[in-house]
Amino acid sequence: MFNFFILILIYTCIYAFMSLGQNLITGYTGMLSLCAAGFFAIGSYATAILTKLGWSFWATLPVAAILSAIMGIIIGLPTLRLKGDYLAIATLGFAEIVRNVINNWDSLTNGPMGIQKIPQIMVFGMNVSPYKKYGFLLLEVVMLLICWFLLERLASSRMGRALEAIREDEIAANSMGINVTKYKVVSFALGAAVTGIAGCLQAEYTLSVSPGSFVFMVSIMVLCTVVLGGMGNFVAVILGAFIIQFISYFPQLVGLSNIIPAQAKQIIFGLILVIMMIYRPQGILGRKERNNKKAEKAWLEKKEAKA
Amino acid sequence: MKKFLAIALVAVLAMTAVFANGSSESSSEIKIGFIGPLTGDYANYGTLCRQAVEMAIDECNAKGGINGSTVKLVAEDSEGDPNKALAAMEKLANTDKVCAVVGPVLTGEAFSVGPVACELGVLAVTPSASHKDVTNQGDYIFRTTPSDGLQGEVAGKYWAQVLGYKKIATLYAKNDYSQGLAEGMKESFEAEGGKIVAEETFMVGDKDFKTQLTKLKNTDAEAIYIPDYTAEMAQILEQASQLGVNKPFLSGDGFLSEEIYQLAGEYTDGVVYTASAQLEETSLVKEFRDAYTAKWGIGPDSFATNSYDATNILLSVIAKVGTDRKAIRDGFAAVKDYEGVNGTINFAENGDLVAYQGIYEVEGNTPKYVGAFKIENGKVVKVN
Amino acid sequence: MGSASLLFQHLMNGLTLGGIYALIALGYTMVYGILKFINFAHGDILMVGAYIGLFTFDALRGSTPIGIWWLVSFFIAMVVSMMGCAVLGMAIEKIAYKPLRKGSRLAPLLSAIGVSFILSNGAAWMFGTHSRKFNYPFDNSPISIGGVVITPHQIMVLVVAIVMMVALKIFVDKTKMGKAMRATSLDSETAKLMGVNADMIISLTFGIGSALAACGGMLIALDYKVYATMGTMVGLKAFVAAVVGGIGNITGAMLGGFLLGLLETFGVAILGIPQGFKDAIAFAVLILILLLKPEGLLGKAEKEKV
Repeated sequence: MFNFFILILIYTCIYAFMSLGQNLITGYTGMLSLCAAGFFAIGSYATAILTKLGWSFWATLPVAAILSAIMGIIIGLPTLRLKGDYLAIATLGFAEIVRNVINNWDSLTNGPMGIQKIPQIMVFGMNVSPYKKYGFLLLEVVMLLICWFLLERLASSRMGRALEAIREDEIAANSMGINVTKYKVVSFALGAAVTGIAGCLQAEYTLSVSPGSFVFMVSIMVLCTVVLGGMGNFVAVILGAFIIQFISYFPQLVGLSNIIPAQAKQIIFGLILVIMMIYRPQGILGRKERNNKKAEKAWLEKKEAKA
Repeated sequence: MKKFLAIALVAVLAMTAVFANGSSESSSEIKIGFIGPLTGDYANYGTLCRQAVEMAIDECNAKGGINGSTVKLVAEDSEGDPNKALAAMEKLANTDKVCAVVGPVLTGEAFSVGPVACELGVLAVTPSASHKDVTNQGDYIFRTTPSDGLQGEVAGKYWAQVLGYKKIATLYAKNDYSQGLAEGMKESFEAEGGKIVAEETFMVGDKDFKTQLTKLKNTDAEAIYIPDYTAEMAQILEQASQLGVNKPFLSGDGFLSEEIYQLAGEYTDGVVYTASAQLEETSLVKEFRDAYTAKWGIGPDSFATNSYDATNILLSVIAKVGTDRKAIRDGFAAVKDYEGVNGTINFAENGDLVAYQGIYEVEGNTPKYVGAFKIENGKVVKVN
Repeated sequence: MGSASLLFQHLMNGLTLGGIYALIALGYTMVYGILKFINFAHGDILMVGAYIGLFTFDALRGSTPIGIWWLVSFFIAMVVSMMGCAVLGMAIEKIAYKPLRKGSRLAPLLSAIGVSFILSNGAAWMFGTHSRKFNYPFDNSPISIGGVVITPHQIMVLVVAIVMMVALKIFVDKTKMGKAMRATSLDSETAKLMGVNADMIISLTFGIGSALAACGGMLIALDYKVYATMGTMVGLKAFVAAVVGGIGNITGAMLGGFLLGLLETFGVAILGIPQGFKDAIAFAVLILILLLKPEGLLGKAEKEKV
């Protein structure tokens, strides 16, 4: 059972990566994107194809991130004119196009057959095999922490404030001199890159990829994760990833899955979503409010000094 | 908020404790795992398999189990997702400590489960993952369905040599099973000097095939090969008839499902298809079909039949060698001439089913068994 | 078959496919117009409608031979199914969406995803995972007109779709209820002040939208069988159609539906691209349309308030 719990944590980390990316796009910048599955697929296939060609996993990481980022820019640039649900549909369309191309571009992706026997990750000459779960989890956690740290830094920087300003009021942000287009595209590219990295890990864990893993439902689940955790809060979405994975594997974790009908698990999952949204529509942790007290105090003191 | 979190945490922990105790095993139980899609788009195929496995195990227990121990089925839902299938395998192997697994059902799942099964040393017998590379993943993966490689090869040769077709069109789904068969058939058919004049594809779950059929109607193909899943084939046949496509249809073992005759009705007339060979209407086949239909209210298809055989072979091996995983694997590999519902079953070195291919022709609404065929020196020959 | 008649054949196939998308898109667009959220469970309501219709139809026709009674039973079943789904839709709105009206815009979306899980898996649990055949209530032998093959079912789909759309359009444009609906959609607060019972109107909108979904569900069930996940993909496509038409706009939804149907059949047929790329082509064109008209074909550009 403990072994299975580790497995849940491994999946949690993969979903956490995707959710971090989604959070940057949706939680911080306020763009409703449904393209996570697309970026995820690009990352997975980049790692799968390149490692099969003899590349090291570590060399495929930046390639996967850059490819996803380029995809993010390709999607981001033209669709910036769109808002809300129109953007959602356009991004969903892109994700479907990615999957469609993967499924049909047989010479590169091996089409619906997918790619198997992906070489395992090597760290300092050591094999990080998915069968040695602790090692794999450790690697994931380290990567996740680095990513989380960088994103937190980014969020508290000038750029993070700009993104939030765009989310709250685009026109006001624009009139304050924030280059809305630039920041939106950068947000899309970065979010896509992070999601793509999730794909690399996914490919290395299952050691096989096939188009069936990148369906529309993945994007939806990632969005659920972000909303459930708390939009615009990186810690919250990591927690959200854990909770979503925990709920979906809970019956298996405790040996219930064989007792209750398979559908019951899904129904319970649905019920939890509905109930959660009724009682905590802002997510479990909610949005992280910027701590402005310090700045406020400084400003007041300055004012007083003047007076 | 903190209160809410605390309550939730306590509730989850309490439930974990309760159920974790509940799942403690008794020593006189032999556990067999099952992995397949029980929910989602492929739920129907997983359910058919699961029911057959359950039936075989129930029958075994009704006869007193194995050496006094009852056999218990632990079925896990994979939702058709390779990741979930992998999780299910880990759970079965590590938590439930099953001695072997029937499944996974789909090829994509088999590719994610295969390496783990070999790593953990748990035998996985897939009833339906027919992609030619599935069994080449290691020693611990076997199957009771013929490889697509073989089925496609016999199909192509049979269409060319026996039916005498020179030009065929294909209409297949862009998924591993369908495309695997279509490609295998194409290779073998073209080696016979035949020509694939048109290849049309669709996505699983598509409902409208009129565009593709309209195109195929206007080619000079003598027949159309549709190695697809039941639901899509039923619609293809029906829509073809509506569009007035007057070409004969050829198919694969998806046609073994009884469902197709309910869904597609009279449109099935004249279809020729390849599927597992069978001894001509043995009492075993009839018994199984009747028992399955009586128990589950729906007839068995090749998924169910293969699962039933896989489970029964597994049970017989366990009865012989005990519950040690390695011993079961070796015992399974050593199975010789097992008389199952699908006829005499043997396994090749790599875990593939050594099979003859059966050819069937549908007359009206009932399939007629033409016979079992094998390939000898590049020719299809009927096996007696 | 000449190329002209081939063209007409594709046109006919595209129109019937589009008719169904349009019918389902109407429900999406109505709900969106009033509540500004995507009712993700719409496709699953469609599936429930198909099941209700199937059971009612089979019970009514019993073992009678095919004939006029079948057709009558079919339409009775359709009414029953539409009423059943209207009630279901209103109940879902009361339980799962109403409490969320004030919160973030994503909360109801998630709630809707939850409802979708519950409905589709509930149906699989209750009715099994196998697909069921929905018998045509009439002889569906194709009729050939100048080389173009049309089935009575295709004609029925077109007729029913158009009748429903016209009826809905008249209802929304000409009746008092419709006026209240439009008012609520425009500004529910002001509408309330004007004496409109907004809760009732929202409930009614859900009811009508769900009834239309049920109708669409029965029409596709005839061609495509009935099973628990039948609504997912159609629902998604209909949603796309609604957005492209200009979400919230009834005429737009119809236009979007027909456009998507035609795109799917024509896109690949004319360009000679493998059918596997069908969805990619359809989506690419839709994105292009959205880029040119960011509010959808008939949507009105919202003035941003500063």
